[in-house]
Amino acid sequence: MTYLFIILYAITLIYFALSERVKKFVWLLSIQGALLFGVVFFSLHKIQMFDFIFILVETILVKSIIVPWFLNRIRKHNHLKREHEPTVPVFYSIIVVVISLILSFLLSNQLNNNNIHTQYFTVAFASILFGIYFIIIHKNIFSHVVGYLIIENGIFLLSLAVGSEMPMMVNLAILLDVLMGVLVLGVFINRIGDTFNSIEIDQLSKLKD
Amino acid sequence: MILLFIIISVVLSVLTFFIKHKIVNIISTVLFSVNLISLSFYAYLHIDKQDSIYYKFDALGVIMTFVITIISIAAFYHSYIYLKRKANSESQKASYYAFLFMFITAMLSAYFTENFAVLWVSIEATSLFVSLLIFHSRTKDAIEATWKYLFVSSVGLAIAFIGILFLSIIATDSGVNNLNISNLLLVSHNMDIVWLRIAFILILTGFSVKISLFPLYTVAIDAKTIVASPINALMSTALVNVGFVGIYRIFTIIANTESLHWAQHIFMIVGIISIFITAIQLTRVKRFKRLLAFSSMEHMGLVFIGIAVGGIGYYAAILHIIFHSFIKAGLFFQLGSIRSFYKSIWIKDTGMYFKLNPIGALVLIIGLVSILAIPPSGMFVSEFMIFKAMFINGNYWEAIITLILLSFIIYIIAKQTFHLLFSDIENSMLNNKALANRYEPLSQFVLFSLVIYLGINPPVFFTDLINASIAILN
Repeated sequence: MTYLFIILYAITLIYFALSERVKKFVWLLSIQGALLFGVVFFSLHKIQMFDFIFILVETILVKSIIVPWFLNRIRKHNHLKREHEPTVPVFYSIIVVVISLILSFLLSNQLNNNNIHTQYFTVAFASILFGIYFIIIHKNIFSHVVGYLIIENGIFLLSLAVGSEMPMMVNLAILLDVLMGVLVLGVFINRIGDTFNSIEIDQLSKLKD
Repeated sequence: MILLFIIISVVLSVLTFFIKHKIVNIISTVLFSVNLISLSFYAYLHIDKQDSIYYKFDALGVIMTFVITIISIAAFYHSYIYLKRKANSESQKASYYAFLFMFITAMLSAYFTENFAVLWVSIEATSLFVSLLIFHSRTKDAIEATWKYLFVSSVGLAIAFIGILFLSIIATDSGVNNLNISNLLLVSHNMDIVWLRIAFILILTGFSVKISLFPLYTVAIDAKTIVASPINALMSTALVNVGFVGIYRIFTIIANTESLHWAQHIFMIVGIISIFITAIQLTRVKRFKRLLAFSSMEHMGLVFIGIAVGGIGYYAAILHIIFHSFIKAGLFFQLGSIRSFYKSIWIKDTGMYFKLNPIGALVLIIGLVSILAIPPSGMFVSEFMIFKAMFINGNYWEAIITLILLSFIIYIIAKQTFHLLFSDIENSMLNNKALANRYEPLSQFVLFSLVIYLGINPPVFFTDLINASIAILN
């Protein structure tokens, strides 16, 4: 059952590469959160009941409700609709996703470890690679935060590998998400939007000699 | 004790933030300083003892705490002058002090923690609070610098978190179910070497945001261009030391395995590339804060080279990081008063500082001599030891390349500083309302003479502390 969710998660990555609308990014993040909830539900049941419920509630609340809701508010505040000029054609992005999946599959076979299943590692690592790629190809800071959250979701999947022994690491991975990703970065997007009247990164290039 | 310290600091910070009164600011600053001093002495007296579950007073942490205590107390005084000059409102002042307290507390937590997860959380907290301090002036540049710093350090720390996850994966393989450094050290020889190496690289990359070394150095430099000089004094010293402590902790684990030499090669590469980048970037530098920020990068490169060489290089590296902290902090404090004499922050718009403020200029010259590691500066001793270690170890080529790059860096820093001291400028560029505070250079004299004293005649407890902090590597 876990594998179904993991494969669906990989498909959302391809969908990310396909879409150009900012609204869709937020939806996809929410779907990813729900899928991660499923993964947690089927893979972490060996830990103590209280920890298990705490992590489950955290995942569904933070990853699929609060974060997307907050991002949606920022999107409306800054009147974002469509990525103005995708620097890289969609076609190439899909190739990059596929390549990153293949690369991480090869890598995970290479780094065989008892504690971490190949499937987890493949998708998690592909998600991290794709998140970095996503940040590079997009030119406004809202999409940068979305890319950061894709990296975060990959890290969350990785942290599940040690979830049974160290539930603390899973909690930390969620904390990283809430604190930095959304509250702080989100507040600053609004600041920048209000001060510069735009959230394109071309605006942010004064600090150099 | 550390838990108590953190609770007191949080209470002081919250009180300062909400009451917003001049007298409360001063009282809480004094109380915080007392808190800081008592923690550093308590830590020194209880060395190698566990504390508050996740913490342990080790020698390296004690050294760093002494450094941060001395610099913080000077920084509080200079912050007072800075806020007065800027004529900020009471609520701005209160939030400045509140964030400053939390920033220092987060750094102390990072120095003493014995657990990788707590170390990571503390470092995350430092970037949160320091970005609030970068944002303090609320100009467009400040927003830009804050955004870049927050975003890149979040990504960097996410990378470091992946490294810590890998570390925890191999730790569970070896039968350890927490990330305490002493437990990891016990099982490090059983660890899967490939995973450990990957974890090391990821953590080094992530924490390079803090230590402002290659690869993720840029944002810290941009942030230091904007931030107030007293905060800059802490960012370029204590915060850099936080990054160093983080990387040093993972290095002690990898040094216990057969990968020691591999890790040292990585340090050598990172160190030399950082010094090379510094030399290139300094040719284009147009602001003094950037000049000093890049100089920090150069000295951290030297520290890494010292660790890469090993032997007396370890001792020299720790000595170098201490001296660098004192001198760089002093120079940034002086920069605060230099700034008040001119209307512009660009190097080309400054000059005649010797005429305008003779005592400040004297401080600047002593600081210049010290930071360039010219005798009698203590940095001469540590840098000499690093190069001696390189020649003993047979790293001739690396030593020669580094020496050539260093002479280039010395030339540029000296040229720009002499421009500030002696060149002529138009009167329209001067800020006629500048008020030199008579007691302002005092802290710099103390810091510089401390470096000279510790370099020439180090007391026994000082050398013992350094030897204890590197004992694990020898």
